[in-house]
Amino acid sequence: MSATTYPLRAEWAKFTTLRSLWTTPLLAVALSAGITAAAQFAYGKVDDSLTDDPMLGLYYGLNFGQVAVVCLGILLIGQEYSSGTLATSLAAVPDRIRFHRGKLLLGAGLGLAIGLLTVAGQLAATAASVGIDLAAPGSYRALAAGVLYHPLLLVLCLSLTTVLRNQTAALGLLSPMVFLGTTALSAIPGIREVVQFFPDRAGLYALRLQDDPEIHYGHGTGLLVMALWTALAVAAGLRTLRTRDA
Amino acid sequence: MIEIRDLTKAYGERRAVDGLTFRVEPGRVTGFLGPNGAGKSTTLRMALGLDRPTSGAALVDGMPYERLTEPLRRVGALLDAQAVHGGRTAAGHLRWIAASHGLPARRIDEVLAAVGLSDAAGRRIRTFSLGMRQRLGIAVALLGDPAALLLDEPVNGLDAEGIRWIRTLLRGLADEGRAVLVSSHLMAEMAQTADHLVVIGRGRLLADTSTAGFLADHGRRRVRVRAVDPAALAALLAEAHPEAVPVGDGAYDVPDAEPGELGALAASRRVVLIELSVTHDSLEDAFMRMTADAVEYRAVAA
Repeated sequence: MSATTYPLRAEWAKFTTLRSLWTTPLLAVALSAGITAAAQFAYGKVDDSLTDDPMLGLYYGLNFGQVAVVCLGILLIGQEYSSGTLATSLAAVPDRIRFHRGKLLLGAGLGLAIGLLTVAGQLAATAASVGIDLAAPGSYRALAAGVLYHPLLLVLCLSLTTVLRNQTAALGLLSPMVFLGTTALSAIPGIREVVQFFPDRAGLYALRLQDDPEIHYGHGTGLLVMALWTALAVAAGLRTLRTRDA
Repeated sequence: MIEIRDLTKAYGERRAVDGLTFRVEPGRVTGFLGPNGAGKSTTLRMALGLDRPTSGAALVDGMPYERLTEPLRRVGALLDAQAVHGGRTAAGHLRWIAASHGLPARRIDEVLAAVGLSDAAGRRIRTFSLGMRQRLGIAVALLGDPAALLLDEPVNGLDAEGIRWIRTLLRGLADEGRAVLVSSHLMAEMAQTADHLVVIGRGRLLADTSTAGFLADHGRRRVRVRAVDPAALAALLAEAHPEAVPVGDGAYDVPDAEPGELGALAASRRVVLIELSVTHDSLEDAFMRMTADAVEYRAVAA
């Protein structure tokens, strides 16, 4: 085994040796797939809001499951700040670029795994309950975007926590931002014009089939907007790691 | 070998470490002494590449720590035994550190045995006492079988048995040819453990000397004697203890003397003593005086 994989293997070992870390992705998949299944079997055939855009019903559980994804992104580095293990981590991997790369690879890998399982679970639940027509235009794009949304969201939260260097601050800032703030803010006209460019709003638009006339970009572009935010956060996180004392 | 070269760390106006230069040589235990806030931990953090020096350098085998590949094979460190995640087991904590260097699982068992935590390997760290956490921190430091060890206040929280254990351990590590730096704010503790002492105050070097030399300079025992007839005492001491020092009021301090011997000598010459007492120039006192001077010096300079 080559030394280049050591930082990633250390991150994997950190993940597997702490229950609060390895249970979180399981929770994300269970929430997303479970709540979609419950909603589709219970209301999928009677509630138009779940079926007008079939992806709205399919991804209904994601609204809940993504809470766990955000938490995992924060915890992956936040618990190093809160417990103080960051000093040991950096003593073991003093090259900040290698350390950062190990964290990002684990975060992206876990996010991708969560995305694949989540979308597979939600698709299966939808197919078994209300059925789905994958021939409808944009269906495969919406499914692929659903998978990619997870690693992007996870890496975004991981990187913002790296910038904040504080788990509590990250939880305090990110959870209301992602789960209340942008939804509530997008209800205010004018503000909505800006909020649609926020990473979670933009990313989620790529998961829809129907067009929203008030949104100024296409579905696929929405995911690119989110990817751009994530790239910026990654760069800012690395900058913080390299310039600040640990 | 670890070399601290003109190392300075400034936070705004305040200099936590100020032009510090010393070496940690292999084969001996170097005590790193200073009162709380003297800059010991900041120095160690810079040596590990965690904090960036304002100027100067801390070098491991001639290289900055950040440039080392597989640094845990060169330097093992214990900074803060509490900086662990309580949700991991002792073995789990060591496992991720071992993974960062591709060390075999066998090594985890070895270091746990070396610090006496084999039975607690599967227990969550949150159930550990401070003493057990110190032992775990030392296990982490030993994991890579490093040539140099940097331990920040490792004696904290250890009981008498633990303190004796750590002394024996440090001695053994130095005897194997490793460079061992141990920080402490307790002079007496270090005098018993270290071969060499580096004393700092307010971030500045105050002493860089062998422990034996420091003891000889500062650790003397003196016997104070005073007699009814000072002239008779002076005559007696001039003959038997020419090294005696008059300290006023007819009293003399006799360095490194035996009080019983002095009393018997005075009795045999019929010199009536009215005082015969032992005073130690204790290491702790010497250390306090030395560091207090540094504080005063800084206060005047500022």
